[in-house]
Amino acid sequence: MLKMTHLSKSFRTEVVETYALRDFSIHVRPGEFVAVTGPSGSGKTTFLNIAGLLETSTGGTYELDGEDVSKLGDDARSRIRNGKIGFIFQAFNLIPDLNVYDNVDVPLRYRRMPGAERKKRIGEVLERVGLSARMRHYPAELSGGQQQRVAIARALAGSPKLLLADEPTGNLDSQMARAVMQLLEDIHRDGATIVMVTHDPELAARAQRNVHVIDGQVVDLGEAPTLRMNAQAMG
Amino acid sequence: MDIAPILAALKRQKTAAALIAIEIALSCAIICNVLFLITHRLERSHVPSGVAEDELVYIRTAGIGASGEDDPMVRAKEDLGALSSLPGVKSATIVNQIPFGHSSWNTGVKLAPDQQHTSANVGAYYADEHLLDTFGLKLIAGRGFLPDEFLNFEDVLKGKVDPPSAVIITKTMATRLFGNEDAIGKSIYLDDTKPTRVVGIVEHLVRPNFGSDLIDADTSMLLPVRLSLGYGQFVLRTDPANRDALIAAAKKKLKSVSPNRIVLSADKLSDTRSKYFKQDRVMAGLLIAVVVSLLIVTALGIVGLASFWVQRRRRQIGIRRALGATRAQILHYFQTENFLIVTVGIALGMLGAYAISGWLMQQYELPRLPFFYLPIGALALWALGQLAVLAPALRAASVPPATATRTV
Repeated sequence: MLKMTHLSKSFRTEVVETYALRDFSIHVRPGEFVAVTGPSGSGKTTFLNIAGLLETSTGGTYELDGEDVSKLGDDARSRIRNGKIGFIFQAFNLIPDLNVYDNVDVPLRYRRMPGAERKKRIGEVLERVGLSARMRHYPAELSGGQQQRVAIARALAGSPKLLLADEPTGNLDSQMARAVMQLLEDIHRDGATIVMVTHDPELAARAQRNVHVIDGQVVDLGEAPTLRMNAQAMG
Repeated sequence: MDIAPILAALKRQKTAAALIAIEIALSCAIICNVLFLITHRLERSHVPSGVAEDELVYIRTAGIGASGEDDPMVRAKEDLGALSSLPGVKSATIVNQIPFGHSSWNTGVKLAPDQQHTSANVGAYYADEHLLDTFGLKLIAGRGFLPDEFLNFEDVLKGKVDPPSAVIITKTMATRLFGNEDAIGKSIYLDDTKPTRVVGIVEHLVRPNFGSDLIDADTSMLLPVRLSLGYGQFVLRTDPANRDALIAAAKKKLKSVSPNRIVLSADKLSDTRSKYFKQDRVMAGLLIAVVVSLLIVTALGIVGLASFWVQRRRRQIGIRRALGATRAQILHYFQTENFLIVTVGIALGMLGAYAISGWLMQQYELPRLPFFYLPIGALALWALGQLAVLAPALRAASVPPATATRTV
């Protein structure tokens, strides 16, 4: 599903070249739930941005759903983001001027999906996250947990191949965080491929596999079966 | 571009959007009317005079000391004869008023003697047998005056004679009085006694002064009345290049004929026309400056608000990009948003334009704003809006999608 090989991302100034990612290789298979962990500044967000085609890499290759996407232009990347990737952000990133329904509708409109189809999908995903009754509410009228569920509904509405979650519970209290994680696990159980970036070990432990990143490099691919079992046990 | 979500978002930004819409509305209302005023002023300054402007000079004189010893009719004939003999003079006449000369003789005409109100107010030129040729008027129907149709002004002044039996009118006046019917042979009444028959129609003859109504400006007639000295001014026709020399020669000649007089004014008719419309040109220039200033202020308002919105919604733009919006879709979002706000402003502005037009009609007797100025104003403001929003919209389109994951 997601395969990065010797990927690098560097930022060059007049005097120095700084690497955010260096020789970064990772392979996420269809249906996997992978947590990418690491301390602040380790390159987690850069990885997520490149994985989500929000940024380009400076070296290496990136294949998404069997397609080399590392050299694509801006419009093609936009189309793939819209069609194949669902984003769940730490700060929810709902559009404050739009109600719940319209927020979920945003990526579907960019896809130029017919109105009836959009309506059907929005109804389904809001039902799934338990917010059918609040589709005319604005984000400011919802709790943090509800807002994140709207964001999840928005991510799911386009039936993406890959869900990218960036600290999805980072702005939530523990009770809401548990509910959101439960929802992500349910979505994963239904077959979704999820890559979640987090610095919270407890959260990471609920994923199938943990990939640990330090200084822009993968230090542990989390492939050992025992580690995965332990991680699940901790959850 | 779907407008429903843009409208939904705008509903949450009512105040700012309303302020810009009001600014657009005011601009639209004012610009439509000002464009109309400019066009009207310029149209007015291009009104056809009907006379050979580039070949005419005129001289106004006044006598000094006791008068009345000589017959003013004879004096006028002597002076005219002297002026006609000057080298280069093609034709000369003495007339009571000249086009664009401000000072005017006007009268009301009726179509029946017992008519309570006059049918039209008309500029009345008193013409001798040389006027048609001297002015260079284009006779498009009928004939000129016959010798026995001329009256002497002194007799008219003393009330010794009936109104003239014949009149030559402009085509505009003919249409005003008789519509599509042939005016030749028809009668008009200058008083309640005898009819005056229309014997000829000239294409144009502008009045000495007129307001904003260009039909009124061309409502003139020629009456066969020979003027006496003291009531007329001399008009001479010559080659355009000879006009300055002729004015000097004419002044000298008139003094040699009779030293007891002064020349009040002498000028080329083309210069008189230019002076007559000077105020219109200045006003048109001022109004153009007003329109340009207004457009600049409006454009700055749009640029300011759009830039503010782009800055404030930078993260939101990043989110949209992350969710799959292309740069073009972001650009179109802001362009569509601007189009919607400007459209609301234009709709309000059109109502305002008609309100201002109504007020101008009442206050300054201007004609009603023609309908076609509204789409012109609308197109100008739509174009201005799109131009003004382009730079902020391009900045918005350049917001990277990674903005969505930053600053957390």
